Amino acid sequence: MSVIDIDDVSKAYGEVQALDGLSLSVDRGTTLGVFGTNGAGKTTLFKLLAGLNRPDSGEVTVAGGDPTETAVRGRIRYLPEDAGFPPNLTGREILRFHARVRSTPAERREHHVERVLDTVGLTAAADRRVGGYSNGMNRRLGLGTALVGRPEILVLDEPTAGLDPEGIRAFHEVIESLSNETDVTIVFASHALSEIERLCTDAAVVVDGDVAVAGPVESLRCAAGDAVTVRLTLSTPTAAEDAASHLRRQDATGSVTRAGTVVEADCLPAAAYDLVCGLGPDYDVERFAVREPGLEAAFHEAVDAAPPASLDDSGQSDGETA
Amino acid sequence: MTPAEDGPDTSADGGVATAPASGVAAGSVSGAGLADSPVLAIASREYRLAVRSRWAAGVALLFALFSGAVVQFGATAVGPGRFGAVVATIAELGVYLVPLAALAMGYDAVVGAHERGSLELLFALPVSKARVVAGVYLGRAGVLSGAMLLGFLPGALLTLWYVGVAGIGTYAATALAAVLTAWAMLGVAVLLSTVATEKTHALGAALAVWLWVALLHDLVALGAVAGLDLGGRAVAAAVLLNPVDCFRVLALAQVDVVAGGFGSVLAAAGLSTPTVAVALVAWVAVPVGVAARLVRRRRL
Repeated sequence: MSVIDIDDVSKAYGEVQALDGLSLSVDRGTTLGVFGTNGAGKTTLFKLLAGLNRPDSGEVTVAGGDPTETAVRGRIRYLPEDAGFPPNLTGREILRFHARVRSTPAERREHHVERVLDTVGLTAAADRRVGGYSNGMNRRLGLGTALVGRPEILVLDEPTAGLDPEGIRAFHEVIESLSNETDVTIVFASHALSEIERLCTDAAVVVDGDVAVAGPVESLRCAAGDAVTVRLTLSTPTAAEDAASHLRRQDATGSVTRAGTVVEADCLPAAAYDLVCGLGPDYDVERFAVREPGLEAAFHEAVDAAPPASLDDSGQSDGETA
Repeated sequence: MTPAEDGPDTSADGGVATAPASGVAAGSVSGAGLADSPVLAIASREYRLAVRSRWAAGVALLFALFSGAVVQFGATAVGPGRFGAVVATIAELGVYLVPLAALAMGYDAVVGAHERGSLELLFALPVSKARVVAGVYLGRAGVLSGAMLLGFLPGALLTLWYVGVAGIGTYAATALAAVLTAWAMLGVAVLLSTVATEKTHALGAALAVWLWVALLHDLVALGAVAGLDLGGRAVAAAVLLNPVDCFRVLALAQVDVVAGGFGSVLAAAGLSTPTVAVALVAWVAVPVGVAARLVRRRRL
């Protein structure tokens, strides 16, 4: 049962076409990762989902209603890329405010805020003013505001941007927990494809204001092809060039590239072992690794397949959004 | 980050709550008491923010110096019998100070939040944009009133000292008229902030409004009344069209003194205190109401 339905939605800012006939459907309980090039229209899409803007044409339905309606927004939690918290308030006061507006009963509010602070790891800094928070702490607080109340749909615009590894790990734990233990629908944008592969059941690639590819992560991986990438590190650039020349002569290899002492060659999984062994001791291979196809391939295929964005007179591409 | 040892809390009544199984809108405001009203929540947040900024302290200090100096030097010079002259001085100087403080307090209310990035998060809450604007206005109006009344306190104490209880009623009425005028000008500032696309534009517009209400309006009105030989109704209309003139009328109505300039023609206007007070209330309601409507068109 779909909880988000976007039907042929277009949105322009002046002459810039941010979204161009985008359609997407997301089932309840799905964790959807949205990725794409900068200016592809992800933030515009997220603002429509959060009910902040209306589309120029097409229809956006979230939780069975129009997200610009107040009651529907009560079921959505939106975290913008830059939440811009007022620097003179403390983290606790901000969460308390969100709990109050989200109608958390007064008698449970403090306990609830305390639990959210604990979840995002801000208990120790709860009573410090946000102006003194680091970027990572601000992001954690933002995630905290999204967790206040009873979220049904989380719309998170690049929630891990600027987070340190510990912060990213904690974010992953929260998302995994929500994903595994509840039927909350999560839509988040990220440039880290490994993050999407790890956390998401589904993924969508947005290119030039439209969804180029969307579906279960596993399907996208398979659609990207069977080829694996063999990555070899040699002792010198000369040795690497010799190895690359050797690999290019092999029937089993596809594309072969070299950068410094590293050579990468695409081939079928069954051929990978023979390919490495075939180099023999003469090439002085220091290290090698075999990488399976991932979302990166799907992303590049989607971007490559899209027609080149035309440039207007100002030199701004069609897909660039405000 | 140090999440809970057993992982993030996902209990329904704890930290990360689950979505309700039914389609009932979570976080709806139905059944919430007045204390839990989203408008009051936003107003309280805005109040806290404004109180912690330097503006509130600055306004309080400015009005304290203003009221203290006027009463100290005025009351000792004219004596208790001519306390009206002190009130007239407050009215004449207040026409510059009151709108300036209110416009400075409100010009960045919406556009400032937009530039900072916090407006998106506010508008994503289950509260209409109009209510967000109303809450922001109420919070700032609360701080402005508090700061002004605190600022008028030294003048009140000095009035008690020099004039006695007899002067306090007049002084208090003048102070309250100043607060009501400040609310009106704050409403105008919030409206400017709602339609402005940049904070600097809002600041420029606020300065232009101050120039108009504090200086130019009276010159234009006086010129029109004298040059076109307009009657009392025109004078009344000119007064009601400027909240600052409304303040002047309310303040001067307390005393027998009639100040010079536009004040000298006010007697012909025949405006009653309730009429002027209602006009000031309209000056609060209309700009805030228009801002609440226009904010829906604001592009995020």
